[in-house]
Amino acid sequence: MLETRYDKEFEALAKYYEKSGGDVSKLLDKRVVSIIVSGNQIIGRNTVPGVKIESEEIENGVKIYLEIEDNVSIENPIHLCTGYLKPEGVQVVLIDTKIGKNSKAEFLSHCVFPRGKKFTHRMISNIEIGENSSLSYEDVHFHSEDGGVTVEAIYNARLSKNAKYDNTFHLTKTRVGKLKVNMNVDLGEYASAYIESKVYEKKDDVVEIIETLNLNGQHSSGIAKTVVFSTDESSAKIINKAYGNAPYSKGHIECNEIVKGENVRVGTIPELYVKDEKAELTHEASIGRINSKQLETLMAKGLGEEEATELIIRGMLK
Amino acid sequence: MLELIDIKLERENRKVLKGISAKFEDRKIYAILGNNGVGKSTLAYIIMGLESYRDHEGEIIFDGKKINEKSVSERAKLGITLVWQEPARFEGLTVKEYLTLGSKKRFSEMELLEALRIVGLSGDYLYRFADNSLSGGERKRIELASILLLNPKFVVLDEPDSGIDIISTNMIEEVLRKLKNAGATLLVITHREEIAKMADEAYLMCDGEFLESGTVDKIIEFYKSHCDNCNHINKPEEGELSVRNKVR
Repeated sequence: MLETRYDKEFEALAKYYEKSGGDVSKLLDKRVVSIIVSGNQIIGRNTVPGVKIESEEIENGVKIYLEIEDNVSIENPIHLCTGYLKPEGVQVVLIDTKIGKNSKAEFLSHCVFPRGKKFTHRMISNIEIGENSSLSYEDVHFHSEDGGVTVEAIYNARLSKNAKYDNTFHLTKTRVGKLKVNMNVDLGEYASAYIESKVYEKKDDVVEIIETLNLNGQHSSGIAKTVVFSTDESSAKIINKAYGNAPYSKGHIECNEIVKGENVRVGTIPELYVKDEKAELTHEASIGRINSKQLETLMAKGLGEEEATELIIRGMLK
Repeated sequence: MLELIDIKLERENRKVLKGISAKFEDRKIYAILGNNGVGKSTLAYIIMGLESYRDHEGEIIFDGKKINEKSVSERAKLGITLVWQEPARFEGLTVKEYLTLGSKKRFSEMELLEALRIVGLSGDYLYRFADNSLSGGERKRIELASILLLNPKFVVLDEPDSGIDIISTNMIEEVLRKLKNAGATLLVITHREEIAKMADEAYLMCDGEFLESGTVDKIIEFYKSHCDNCNHINKPEEGELSVRNKVR
């Protein structure tokens, strides 16, 4: 549980954790698996039967090892709070997660860097999901409005036979700063994955996202989706890839970039590679202004253009 | 209430609308009939003021004032609205949120449920998203429910029956009746005779013009005899041209 010497730090972190949409009470609930990281320290930790957590402090960060045993279904989502309250510095978070066979878990991760002016957060998450198991991972970021936060997040997931994996990355409530997201999924037989990134960038924010599906097992399937709303002078480069390496594997990649502002620079590159003739891959991409029919539908109900735009964007990024 | 004066529109050297003039009076239902591609939806978009249709000629007068320069929002605030033939879908927006958009009134759950009941949907729909998870027919019904709650003065309905099963014609009739009883003027574009028959007056459109106007029965008869088997969309043959000249 929470270490008392970190009470004040936790209190400060909790304020921003809630702003990012997190429920602080869950971090203190004994029935909920939780890990609270501030800077390079683990300031709170809780686990339940069937879940093993090990952690160590490393230079500028922490290393966490989390294992869920076979045949365990975690009732409450695992809460992970990662924060950095100083304006400058570097934080490295390495997380290795292993889910056994026939198990089920859900992660809610909130990363809060509310005061960052010259701050870099590097995260590498390696995930292994056993046969017939499922993992849902939701990562929500909350950054400073200064634009001085740099985030480099790498998610590598390996799915065994019939495993299921959902991973969503959302940074829509605050400025981005500089963001690099790399999601990489290897799928075994009959495994399925859904990976999604949603980002709302402003001013001179810079975004680079790469999502890759490696459909290695027969009948594996996956969807990789990115939604970016770029405004002002922000820029974005999105690459969605799918590799159809096995018979009857199915993949779909999708990128929607909505732009508002004359100085926005955005681009998207869909990449589809088929190694097996029975694989089936599709892609969908769009870059442009808000869909005029959606806009005018809302305006025909009396909403102003700005209000209608905001409503459409908020809905898409929800 | 709403008057169209000599509305013309050209696209790629083609005259899409060739001078439409009509007066739509308060609390009446008007029907527009005509084959595909004759300019019916274009006229609907011009009345609503959609951005890519604002370059038309002619005047639109609403409640005595010219509204050509007004945006879609401004026209909506005056009480004009449009039911699209295929309504847009919205990710992340619940049906409940969608139904209450644009209305100054705060609706009770009962009122929302009643609007859904009229269009044949259960209360469960309130918490669904108005996105691609809905079928075309479901989305259309939600659009009709939203218009009932919006309480507009002038509604253009572009094929309110499209995408909705034929046995639900009664539902559409009830929606039109309720809108009329609430004080709205309705301009209904339709291919369905039962819907058209609710109108007080009808227009037959062909090749970007109103070819004929009058009672619904007269227009339906005219449509059946001249347009049902018409295989020359937007190019009336000699027969039709002579009829048109007779009308004039």
